[in-house]
Amino acid sequence: MPNASDLATPTPTAPATGRPDDSAGQRFDRRLRLAKAGLGAVAVVLALMVPWLAPDAFILSVAVVIASYAAFAVGWNFVGGFTGYISLGHASYSGLGGYAVALLTTHTGINPWVALVLGAVAVALLAVPIGIASLRVRGASFVIVSIALVLILLLVFQSWASVTGGSEGLRVPRPFDSSVLRPEQHTRFYLLFLLLIGIALVVWWLIDRSQFGAGLKAIREDEDKAEALGVPTFRYKLVVFVISAFFTSLAGGLYALWFGNLDPVFQFSILTGSYMVLMSLFGGIRSLVGPVVGAVVVGYAMEVFKAQYGDSQFHLVALGLLLAVVVLFMPEGVVPALLGVVHRFRPAATSIREESAAELLERNRAIDAQRRAQTEADAETEAERVEDARHATTGKGRS
Amino acid sequence: MSVQQDVRPSLQTEGLSKAFGGVQAVNDATVTFHEGKVNALIGPNGSGKSTFFNIVTGMIAPDSGTVRFRGRDITRRAPHRICAAGLGRSFQLCRTFPRMTVLENLLVAVRPTGLRQLAGSSQNRRQVERARELLRRVGIDHLEGSLAQDISYGQQKLLELAGVLMGDPDTILLDEPAGGVNPALIGRIGTLVQELNAEGRTFIIVEHNMDMVMSLSDHIVVFDRGAPIAEGTPSEVQQDPRVLEAYLGV
Repeated sequence: MPNASDLATPTPTAPATGRPDDSAGQRFDRRLRLAKAGLGAVAVVLALMVPWLAPDAFILSVAVVIASYAAFAVGWNFVGGFTGYISLGHASYSGLGGYAVALLTTHTGINPWVALVLGAVAVALLAVPIGIASLRVRGASFVIVSIALVLILLLVFQSWASVTGGSEGLRVPRPFDSSVLRPEQHTRFYLLFLLLIGIALVVWWLIDRSQFGAGLKAIREDEDKAEALGVPTFRYKLVVFVISAFFTSLAGGLYALWFGNLDPVFQFSILTGSYMVLMSLFGGIRSLVGPVVGAVVVGYAMEVFKAQYGDSQFHLVALGLLLAVVVLFMPEGVVPALLGVVHRFRPAATSIREESAAELLERNRAIDAQRRAQTEADAETEAERVEDARHATTGKGRS
Repeated sequence: MSVQQDVRPSLQTEGLSKAFGGVQAVNDATVTFHEGKVNALIGPNGSGKSTFFNIVTGMIAPDSGTVRFRGRDITRRAPHRICAAGLGRSFQLCRTFPRMTVLENLLVAVRPTGLRQLAGSSQNRRQVERARELLRRVGIDHLEGSLAQDISYGQQKLLELAGVLMGDPDTILLDEPAGGVNPALIGRIGTLVQELNAEGRTFIIVEHNMDMVMSLSDHIVVFDRGAPIAEGTPSEVQQDPRVLEAYLGV
């Protein structure tokens, strides 16, 4: 899978001429790519096998929860990873996605899967005006605006009980036949979440390598500079914001179909949005698989801490400690930190070219010749400058 | 200037004003820069040069006045549209995309012509070739795989210039190109400006290094307290009593 490290490979002519000094580094890159692909394949196979490896239905349900976290984090990372805009309010889109599916299926009776996609499209459309309003501000202001939206939605969905069920909750009809038992349902939803994550990752990767993605990453690095270089930053941000809302909403809808009951307190919770941010930051927002890795590690840790210390608030302390350690020692996230360690073993041949004695001699000769020519040229320009200065002081001026 | 008819207006402002609170940063500035020339904008610190620059490139909206570029009104246009109109700029404290490679820094400036190019790879072969050529031209092609944050400040200045050139602007605004740079590199930047100017690109340079300004410029505008107080050739400006007063306070 191509990624940023591929850019470091030298010009296409290099392999053709077969410079021996480059091959060590290139061999390393090739092996690293191969290792990454192999690791990815193993991870995918393992992930697919989870339903059959899980000892009981409870563990399987935990796997579904973790998969849903990963789907949320990947959805969030479209905006967070590319543009660096940290939205703490993405629960808005997951929550709206959930309610959209529930209301569409109960009121119109359409196929729940069609409702899932229609709901996500509706949420994406709604994200356009929200994005236009909120993407005008940056940094901390953007974070506050994103939180404000969740709080507004929480109040609206709690108060508008005639439609949303309010705090009584809203039942979501099961998409599968009643003959499908719960463990089988977990398996199906787990695989559906994997499918959603897969699609989202492919889209993320396509954006990452595109000209659009280059503009987005430039926004993350320096928005004013990007704008000055001709990137229509606002339009770019808005488009990726809508894409992010779409995928987050799909994940929220899928979660609603699985969980079967919606309560505004949980759907529009600041915590849900914070988890997306924390997991993505943990894994590394600038890498493709970062949010997935973050969701698996943090999600798993959360479940373990809850099982261990669930009767007190200590599970939150444990989670906080884990995150503090990562932020302190791996501010870029776990995945880039690990890759950085691997890259330290890369032979340095491509950055400093090794030269044979003959090559060195040849080069030194060339440099000497160049230097001589330069000194002569300098002497000439110096003479001209003296001449110019003389003209200037004598008042003849420049033409 | 000897030949009056070859002076064509490039960037023009009329009655441009901008106040920050009680400070009138730019005060009714009417300025014309010449097409095809190396123009310089000089003035003491705090005379409003940078604010002026930021207004004409769309980073700051003026309180009043108009900006015209090659006859077109570009007042209050978004910076990316001004860039697309052919007016490129560098920043005072050189700005690059620190965690992107030198090559990627340049590829950001590619303006996609359609949806296909927008969705297509940013490592488009033709654009990569063009970027490499520009890097070679400014002399940092050996660094294309390095992160911008890892190269020296002088190299970052050259990278920024190459990035501006990637957008193929007719007119280039440089904000203190010699600031914080060693004398050898100042010479190199000066040579680049001359070469690019000879190819037909107009320059507008804000600079404090008087040697550079006097040796490079065809036309100099002197700012003081947010408005031009003098303009002309280097020798005319050097002898202008108002300029001496502004700079030396005599």
